Amino acid sequence: MSEVKVVSVNLLGYVDQGEVGTDPYRVDRDGRPYVAVGDGGTVLGLRLGDSVFDHVGDHAAPGVCLVHPNQEACHALVGLACLGNQVIVRTGDAAGRAGAVLGKRGGGQRVIAVFSQDVLTRLRPGDQVALASCGQGAAAPLPGLTQMNIAPAALSLLGVTVRGGHLEVGVRAMLPSPFVGNGIGRPMIMWDVDLQVDADAEATRSLRLGDLVAISDLDARANAGYRRDWMSVGIVVHGASPQPGHGPGVTIVLSGPAERFSIRVEGDTHTGLSEKRLISMAEEEGREDG
Amino acid sequence: MKVTSNVDHLLTQVLAGEVWPPLADRNAYRIDPDGRAFFLPGMGGVTLDVHVGDPATGYAGDHVEPGLSIRHREPGANYALQYLSCIGNRVEVTSGPAKGASGFVIGQHAYVLVDMDSDDMCRVSVGDEVSVFAVGQGLALDGHREVVVKNCSPALLTALAGGTTAAGQLEVHVSAVVPPEAIGAGAGMASEYANTDLMGAYAGLGEDLSLGLESLCVGDVVALSDQDHRFGRGYRQGWTTIGVISTASCLLYGHGPGPSSIMSGPVSAFKVVVDESANLSSFNLEQVRERT
Repeated sequence: MSEVKVVSVNLLGYVDQGEVGTDPYRVDRDGRPYVAVGDGGTVLGLRLGDSVFDHVGDHAAPGVCLVHPNQEACHALVGLACLGNQVIVRTGDAAGRAGAVLGKRGGGQRVIAVFSQDVLTRLRPGDQVALASCGQGAAAPLPGLTQMNIAPAALSLLGVTVRGGHLEVGVRAMLPSPFVGNGIGRPMIMWDVDLQVDADAEATRSLRLGDLVAISDLDARANAGYRRDWMSVGIVVHGASPQPGHGPGVTIVLSGPAERFSIRVEGDTHTGLSEKRLISMAEEEGREDG
Repeated sequence: MKVTSNVDHLLTQVLAGEVWPPLADRNAYRIDPDGRAFFLPGMGGVTLDVHVGDPATGYAGDHVEPGLSIRHREPGANYALQYLSCIGNRVEVTSGPAKGASGFVIGQHAYVLVDMDSDDMCRVSVGDEVSVFAVGQGLALDGHREVVVKNCSPALLTALAGGTTAAGQLEVHVSAVVPPEAIGAGAGMASEYANTDLMGAYAGLGEDLSLGLESLCVGDVVALSDQDHRFGRGYRQGWTTIGVISTASCLLYGHGPGPSSIMSGPVSAFKVVVDESANLSSFNLEQVRERT
């Protein structure tokens, strides 16, 4: 059988402002009101490698969120965007500068893109960004597994290897499925899953943006749901949230029977994805496509 | 000892709604846990032949909403209807051939769900208007400060078996205890709105999907382990939420029959008693309402 080619599509996204309702307050799990900071938009001072718990924020992502004003176009933008896709600013003071897709969040609402801090300071809400999408439909490195939300070339960035019929993945933590909150029951090409964890828990205390995590008994091939002896692997794309049922977000990239994975829980020694590696990889991909 | 509360201080608000049509999109299909496409009835309209006390599984349906599915056309008025309606509230049909018929709220599911006598229900259809006599939000139990109550009418509180134990716990009778692995879509949402889908109740599908919840019934009072639904819905070890199953069969993956939440607190605040009769159908809420 001939190899099936992955289709690349150039898309347009807009730098997000972030939105708040008519009431400034949200309510945390103990009933205390708080003002949500960093929930969408362009967030400065938060980077890949930072702890998900270190900042006063709500779902804050390390970089910029991209949206589209037409809802259906926004869903396509979010659905097609994959980790490692190159993004190039088209308008405004940062025109011409390049970054990369990290992940996605919310019901087909936002793509999270990483730029260097000097680019982020020049970006303004409404700036247009070209996104070279590529990756959905790509075959997983092993039969029986499902891959999504990641440019084929980016898998090596995550240190994922095939050995002896297993997919070897090093992760910060392996979490049981009840930790999965908002996002459960939703299609994983559109949503991330929020982890209901806090800074006190041993397994997740050292969780950082860009980390890989594994979730046991979770089948995330389409909608995410409970299935015994399955495994899903994803990347941490945004920080913690005080809201009950919410928390650090994971964009799923691999899912399949647990027996096909060899998960290495690295704990404090885990090194997640770095801004520099992600952006330079996306640049290389961009050159090859060009 | 029956639990006492601030019920004498609660207000009743009369809210309007209408039976909302089922909604579909032109691509029709959704997908089941095994990746198969389906198109099935369930949400919206008037769903006949599924009442409190009936099995919650075994229907060729998706997100089956028993009885009437009620909304209001205006977003703000709709949120008032969805947030303020409580399980056990009286509902009166105010237009159409069934005008004057009454039923009661069995829960929320982004619609207010209303059960009533089959003969009356047969005459209700999409667009018919109803009034909900909403009372219950703000209910607080004397001597159980750690327990937050919501979506629970005074009639339901009166009808629930149990009460304050000698040790000061709140005894609640439930027909099933649900493990945290079962919590599906609804996590992270407001607990005055919609319900919490339970996975592991896909009757007839694979053993690897089962969490032993296939025998739930509509109207069952259940305990959700490690769930704190006081100010939203989230996983929290050592907390318990009590709910009432308000929706039935569901094929969409990560979804399932689900409870509307009525009480939440630390596990130590409750004495949970498993009791097969813990179902709205055993309570005769109408009589209870008249007495109270």
